[in-house]
Amino acid sequence: MKVLAIARNTFRENIRDKILYNLILFALLMILSSLVLGQLTLGYEEKVIVDLGLSSISIFGTLIAIFIGIGLVYKELERRTIYALLAKPVHRWEFILGKYLGLLITLLANVVIMTAGLELTLAANGGISLENSLRLIPAVYLIFLSLAVTTAVALLFSSFSTPALSALFTFFLWVIGHFNADLLKFAQLTKAATAEFVAGVLYYVLPNISNFSVADSRSVIQSAAYFEPIRAAAVAWATCYAFLYSAILLAIATAIFLHRDFK
Amino acid sequence: MTSRSRLSAWRRWLPGIALLAAGLLVKPVQDRIDSLRPDGEVDADLIYFSSPGAVKAMALGYESLLADVYWMRAIQYYGRREEAARRQVRYKNLPALLDIVTTLDPQMLDVYRAGSIFLAEPDPIGAGQPREAIRLLDRGISQLPKEWRLLFDKGFVYFWYLHDYRSAGQTWLAAARLEGSPPWIEGLAARGLSQGGAVDAAKDLWRRELENSTRADVRNNARDHLNGIQVDEDIWTLEFFVEKYTATHNARPPTLAELVRAGFTSSVPNDPSGMPYDYYAPTGAVSLNPSSKARPITLPDDYRQIFMNRLAAWYESHQKK
Repeated sequence: MKVLAIARNTFRENIRDKILYNLILFALLMILSSLVLGQLTLGYEEKVIVDLGLSSISIFGTLIAIFIGIGLVYKELERRTIYALLAKPVHRWEFILGKYLGLLITLLANVVIMTAGLELTLAANGGISLENSLRLIPAVYLIFLSLAVTTAVALLFSSFSTPALSALFTFFLWVIGHFNADLLKFAQLTKAATAEFVAGVLYYVLPNISNFSVADSRSVIQSAAYFEPIRAAAVAWATCYAFLYSAILLAIATAIFLHRDFK
Repeated sequence: MTSRSRLSAWRRWLPGIALLAAGLLVKPVQDRIDSLRPDGEVDADLIYFSSPGAVKAMALGYESLLADVYWMRAIQYYGRREEAARRQVRYKNLPALLDIVTTLDPQMLDVYRAGSIFLAEPDPIGAGQPREAIRLLDRGISQLPKEWRLLFDKGFVYFWYLHDYRSAGQTWLAAARLEGSPPWIEGLAARGLSQGGAVDAAKDLWRRELENSTRADVRNNARDHLNGIQVDEDIWTLEFFVEKYTATHNARPPTLAELVRAGFTSSVPNDPSGMPYDYYAPTGAVSLNPSSKARPITLPDDYRQIFMNRLAAWYESHQKK
């Protein structure tokens, strides 16, 4: 219950911080794209709208996850509101989990509204069948999972570092997370046992963001743009990975937070 | 209003006025800076990376969106005629741009189809690189092996741009074997394989494109080619009748309408844009009106011979009747 109360407050705080203003930009982007794409591209108007919509959901979401995530803990410390909070019977893990869930709810609201906007744009741009409309959902869900992991990474850094450094680290990890598989391949090319071992360890330690952007050997956004189904197994395993990885990061963040001295 | 309160009102408005003035100054200042730069200082194509592999690696999961961006860039690169005319080589980077699009998203069927036409069309309409068009289509065929349209287009490039009728026929035959291909492809394959009917088969092809394509640019291209062939055939026909009239009357007809009056033809056609053809009586030459929007195309001499033989045969049979 305490976790939910903290999550609810974090969500309210995000709303007060006008996070959802990015939706206006998204709406403008969607309206503009449906107006001008016919003149810019030969065919594929629908595909471009889906690409633009899903990429925007992912990019805006990632930016929010990074820039809000890095301040989740730091802001409480800087404003000294953490003292009032921890003076109450609230465990530190509840605080971390509540903060994390609060941002996830914000991201979920953002993603849901953007998806509705995307579906509306498609409907206004010549119609979309219910089947095709539903085929966008797994892609949106995978994007949300990637945001959940990115938020956990940002929160981890936020628990011990400054916002500027946390943003930098999270961004780097997010980029590396897309190249994880290449890291392994490069190490195999060197044919050096140590390099292979280190790359192997890093492969599992670093967040594998491509688990959410690539499913069935294809870009998730690309599959959605052609309204092709994404295998349920790929979605299920990505969900497991997101839960597991986020849980580990939150546990580490909590451990760091537990040992912090706020004097 | 006292002078003091007037001053205070001015003070209130001053920052706004200064901001507005500064805002209005931005455009002329920027224009001035732009005018100091030589034309074409920045090659817009070079803003983009040219290696498909590098672009794909840097896409970070947004390959599909990047493919759209590069596709739109390829269309602008091809479609902006004035910009293209200023380049040293008109469409030098077109194959690279299309390669990037198809590497980022190998499923974009229309990129292979429209891209191959952009590449194969001779300069100045296209890049004049039919071999590149074949390469692009081969990539498409390897990605979408069940798509008969790609084989149809490949045969078309062989037929029309490379004049390799045998390869065209073989490619269409392969297309005819694919599920979902229309029955007329087999006929095309047969005609392609028999070289004599080259332009007739080409007319069939353009007609198919005109009737079946869902894309306006492909239909317009087909219409232009059909109209171009029509212009040549009209001129040959009219000059043939002028010659026959001259042989009968020992003088050239003063106007083309005279051919109708003398019973050589039932009507004098206008060109496909609706303009009457020009006729120069002293030489008997028929030509397009300079202000006509129709454009002739260069047809092979052997086709002219085939056409004239057909016309002569028709004329003789008509005379006997």
